[in-house]
Amino acid sequence: LQPPKGIYTHISGIDLVRNSATGKYHVLEDNLRTPSGVSYVLENRAVMMRTFPAAFQNSEVLPVGQYPLELARILRSLLRRKNAVVVVLTPGVYNSAYFEHSFLAQQMGVELVEGKDLVVNEDVVYMKTIRGLTRVDVIYRRIDDEFLDPLAFRSDSVLGVPGLIGAYRAGNVALANAIGNGIADDKAMYAYVPEIIRYYLQQDPILPNVETFICARDAELSYVLDHLDRLVVKAVGESGGYGMLMGPMATSTQIEEFRKRLRAAPRNYIAQPLVPLSVCPSYDVASSRMEPRHVDLRPYCLFDGENVVTVPGGLTRVALQPGSMVVNSSQGGGSKDTWVLRGDN
Amino acid sequence: MLSRIADSLFWTARYMDRAENTARLLDVTYHTLLEEARQAYHLRWDAVIRITGDQFFFRTMYDDANPRNVIEFYLFREDNPNSIASCVARVRENARTIRDRLSRELWENINGTYHRVREMQQSAEVRERLHLYCAEMIAASHAFNGIVDSTLAHDDGWHFLQMGRSLERAQHTARVVDVEYHRLLEGATDPGSTDPLVWRAVLMSVAAFEMYRRAYPSGIDAERVAELLILNRLLPRSIRFNFAWLQLSLRAISGTGPQSYANEAERLTGKVLDALVYDRIEDIFARGLHNFLSDVERNSRQINDGIARSYFHYAAGAA
Repeated sequence: LQPPKGIYTHISGIDLVRNSATGKYHVLEDNLRTPSGVSYVLENRAVMMRTFPAAFQNSEVLPVGQYPLELARILRSLLRRKNAVVVVLTPGVYNSAYFEHSFLAQQMGVELVEGKDLVVNEDVVYMKTIRGLTRVDVIYRRIDDEFLDPLAFRSDSVLGVPGLIGAYRAGNVALANAIGNGIADDKAMYAYVPEIIRYYLQQDPILPNVETFICARDAELSYVLDHLDRLVVKAVGESGGYGMLMGPMATSTQIEEFRKRLRAAPRNYIAQPLVPLSVCPSYDVASSRMEPRHVDLRPYCLFDGENVVTVPGGLTRVALQPGSMVVNSSQGGGSKDTWVLRGDN
Repeated sequence: MLSRIADSLFWTARYMDRAENTARLLDVTYHTLLEEARQAYHLRWDAVIRITGDQFFFRTMYDDANPRNVIEFYLFREDNPNSIASCVARVRENARTIRDRLSRELWENINGTYHRVREMQQSAEVRERLHLYCAEMIAASHAFNGIVDSTLAHDDGWHFLQMGRSLERAQHTARVVDVEYHRLLEGATDPGSTDPLVWRAVLMSVAAFEMYRRAYPSGIDAERVAELLILNRLLPRSIRFNFAWLQLSLRAISGTGPQSYANEAERLTGKVLDALVYDRIEDIFARGLHNFLSDVERNSRQINDGIARSYFHYAAGAA
């Protein structure tokens, strides 16, 4: 199975953190499946410009609004058909990122479809319209691999489209991002990325990883078990701040619970020292004051097969609870407009 | 346009107009009764329940059609699918699934209406402020229609919105006339039925009072009211006006010219519209008003199903 133009990762959103003790940036996590949050980058900017126009006037802030245009350009170029039809595939209105799916479809001027709007006939994907079936060429899918096609993956999926993977294999439809990218989001795989970069690219990584213990290795597992109260333990296949132990903040019951889980299935876990995340001034509603809150940064990169376009900005995620280092929006985190200023170069 | 989106647009407009119609009905009925102690209140409230077709359902929840019960039933009850609260919630639910298709202004109007209705629901004095509540709902629906017209492309989607609204209005007006005439025939038991004030209220409930006064300056007469509400070419809530729009939008979508039809919905719409254009009110009375209105009602339901079959549903394996 070869994805069109050989591109697996059209859109990536890699999480970066800055260690407040050393001031150095690190890669915290890779997101090569369906990174979300870019709509917040655009909406935060729009709200900030409306609310604090004066702050922008002398700052030469680089624009971020080109993102949907760039994304649409890249998606359209994936299949060499004239007037390629692009759609955004959403699990539906009950998905927590539905706003973003709808926002991006609107900004790109393409249809937002659900699985039930699509049908596959002889390895060609169509959408059901009031004038009959219309061929679909490119699908920006916001549905996880295992739900995409009940004939290929989970047979109980009602979100997907039967036959979609067959059409993909036949080269009649492009998926962005490609299927199988989840392997790169696996948190154990992450530990090997610097080595992968050195081996395949013969380069040194520009940003270092956070030191990572792979619990599948006996020596590292026993170190982790001895230092659970000082480490962050993460399930390799989870995201969104789920399946995590923040050792230094955890109760002894939680630590013992994770000790059991680690012993039962060490391959499922990695551990990292707690990086003291840098802070940003944030408005605290309860005290009506500006307070320091921990943040991380997710820049968005688009790849068209030749060039990588990085949006000059990104999603700064902020943990709204005092002292908290969990910035995920699914865990109550907020976000901030993020500026890249036009420098001398 | 995706079938699912056309379906949602159609019902968004239907539910919004239903909420407005109910608000008008409640507002006028409540305030007519404030200064009208002569007739038994329950007959008027009973008419409201018959107009929306909820007699049976209402009786499963309440014993008595008093103002308190009726207002609760139509304003707040989420288990009443025809209540304003339910309609507005469904407008929002439909709109949410097609948000990328709506203008930002339209979504903000729908979302704002939903939250205002919920807020007012929580305020205890809503009964004293019923007029404010209804006026707010009516204004929200007006804003909805204005924003639809001035911020959306007048494309297929816009025509599906028009179709939903026209069909809802035509059916509502048909039921209003049908129920009120039925009361007139039962005149012996309802001394209010020939009262011009009642007919004034009926006209006001479909925003037709001022227009009636201009069209028939002599006085309020039940037969003329029926003529206006059924056959008038220019009244935006007359049955004819809405069938004309329905035909226009159906043909805009299918590209059908005059003297023909592309599907069952168009055939029935043309058939009903022909009667509305060429029959006189005397002809309709001669054949029986109730029969005529029942035909309109039955055809409207079949048109609704025809639209769904032609545009919204795909039979399994249609690909």
